[in-house]
Amino acid sequence: MARMKFFCDAERCIECNGCVTACKNVNEVPWGINRRRVVTINDGKPGERSLSVACMHCSDAPCMAVCPVDCFYQTADGLVLHDKDICIGCGYCFYACPFGAPQFPTEGAFGSRGKMDKCTFCAGGPEADGSAEERRKYGANRLAEGKLPACAEMCATKALLAGDADVVADIYRERVAYRGAAGMQRGWGVAYGKPGVQAGKDMKGKAAGKD
Amino acid sequence: MSDIAAPSPRLRYRRAFRISVLLLAFVLIVPLVPYGLAATGVQLTNPGADLWREVRQRVQPYEATTQVKDIDGAALINTWGETWREFRSDRLVPIGGGILLGTLGLIAAFYLIRGRIRIEGGRSGELVPRFSVNQRVVHWFAAGLFVILGLTGLVLLYGRYVLIPLLGPEGFSATAAACKEVHNLFGPIFPFAIVGLMVLFGRGNRFRWLDVKWFIKAGGLFGHRIADSGYYNGGQKTWFWMTVLFGLLISISGLVLDFPLFGQGRELMAAAHVVHAVIAVVFIAASLGHIYIGTLGMEGASESMTRGYVDGNWAKEHHNLWYAEMEKAGMVGVDENALEEVRRHDDIDFRGFGSPLPKGGDTGH
Repeated sequence: MARMKFFCDAERCIECNGCVTACKNVNEVPWGINRRRVVTINDGKPGERSLSVACMHCSDAPCMAVCPVDCFYQTADGLVLHDKDICIGCGYCFYACPFGAPQFPTEGAFGSRGKMDKCTFCAGGPEADGSAEERRKYGANRLAEGKLPACAEMCATKALLAGDADVVADIYRERVAYRGAAGMQRGWGVAYGKPGVQAGKDMKGKAAGKD
Repeated sequence: MSDIAAPSPRLRYRRAFRISVLLLAFVLIVPLVPYGLAATGVQLTNPGADLWREVRQRVQPYEATTQVKDIDGAALINTWGETWREFRSDRLVPIGGGILLGTLGLIAAFYLIRGRIRIEGGRSGELVPRFSVNQRVVHWFAAGLFVILGLTGLVLLYGRYVLIPLLGPEGFSATAAACKEVHNLFGPIFPFAIVGLMVLFGRGNRFRWLDVKWFIKAGGLFGHRIADSGYYNGGQKTWFWMTVLFGLLISISGLVLDFPLFGQGRELMAAAHVVHAVIAVVFIAASLGHIYIGTLGMEGASESMTRGYVDGNWAKEHHNLWYAEMEKAGMVGVDENALEEVRRHDDIDFRGFGSPLPKGGDTGH
């Protein structure tokens, strides 16, 4: 079976937040819940990079391991999903997740968080595929319709890739080969007098660092 | 013309030889240039690798921004969460379970071997006042809260392993949700119970040399020896100070966990959880001993906290110095129903709501 993964190419991400908007729209995510977010490192400086982060659907998910009521399950595709009917809103999955993927709808006293919500890879939840109940609780189930997650489909630069891990790896490998060694040093190699390997004469595109 | 246009074979060979030597030198030396450059300090490593290594560190020297307003939103990756999860699942659960079951086992073994500690001289029938009404009310208030909080907390910690097989996922989810709500609603009341205990049971609980001697004699446990003791013995004083210390720490960490409204990030919540859970396990294990002694383990002990009076012989055997003071003050053999008489007795210093100790301080000299 295909193992589904996300991959965000930091060399291509332009921080447009299209993925964030697509997710919120397609899944009708309420105010305050951020299933996906874009984090920018060294904003405004040479070597600025952006990454789109949501649930990474870990193979050995810490959220699944720590949940006191065991509400997480892993699908055959390797996706980590959870059952909101079982969730008690204790927040432990949020403490354990390295990416801060779990989100809670309520901020209240006495730890009343409401049911946890997170990126589902647009694969819904335990209810029947495409049912109204599933849509209300978990958002869109695009995988059941044979589509890929909305965030990756909507990405303006195809920085965010989602799908079969082998296919995603192939695409990225092609990009790495095309960019060559200078590809990793866009913005570092030439600006502000910093030493570095210069891009080759024939190298084209943004990756060459000639902008 | 021939010697200009066509060099002699020897010249040609020499030229060819020189060219090949130069070519060979070129081919051998040029690949070594990067090493040479590296030796002169020119940056040849990939700055991208440096950046992403920084990103993976727990301390974030890089600057990250994000448009979402979450507290930890700008953190790309935080590995403390996995450290905490590993501690909770792989160490707290098994070791805590061992501590709790081990304590139960030790108590059971003690009961089977030593049996119930009886009043050796039999009941004298004379009553001595031990705990005032206020003391008893506060004690049972705290004890009730402790049992409720402890049980609900244990369900949240161990339920996944013990109760899901019994109740099924939906049944246990409902149970755990109820336990979480009860735990979180009653939790903030616990600090008040602890403060109440500190105020009402503090007097007489200072450690003295007397208590060291009491510990050495193991409280008179073996060989029918009497170990000198005042109003509280060394074991009770230890339990009091454990309650104060553990109670305060659990209350503070519990309040941090229960009110995530003040900008607590993941790391602070996980740290508070570690403090809360570790102390809770030790506190519950110690309380099992306290409950055992107060109920099954010792004849004549439970009535001190239910009725407020103890038998004279029990007091003589277990708190001999206090008994001597009370006898001197004429407080032995009081009528339970004459409590108001007792209160107005000049020799007894109730200090508003304190322990029935004779005037002059606590008897633990």
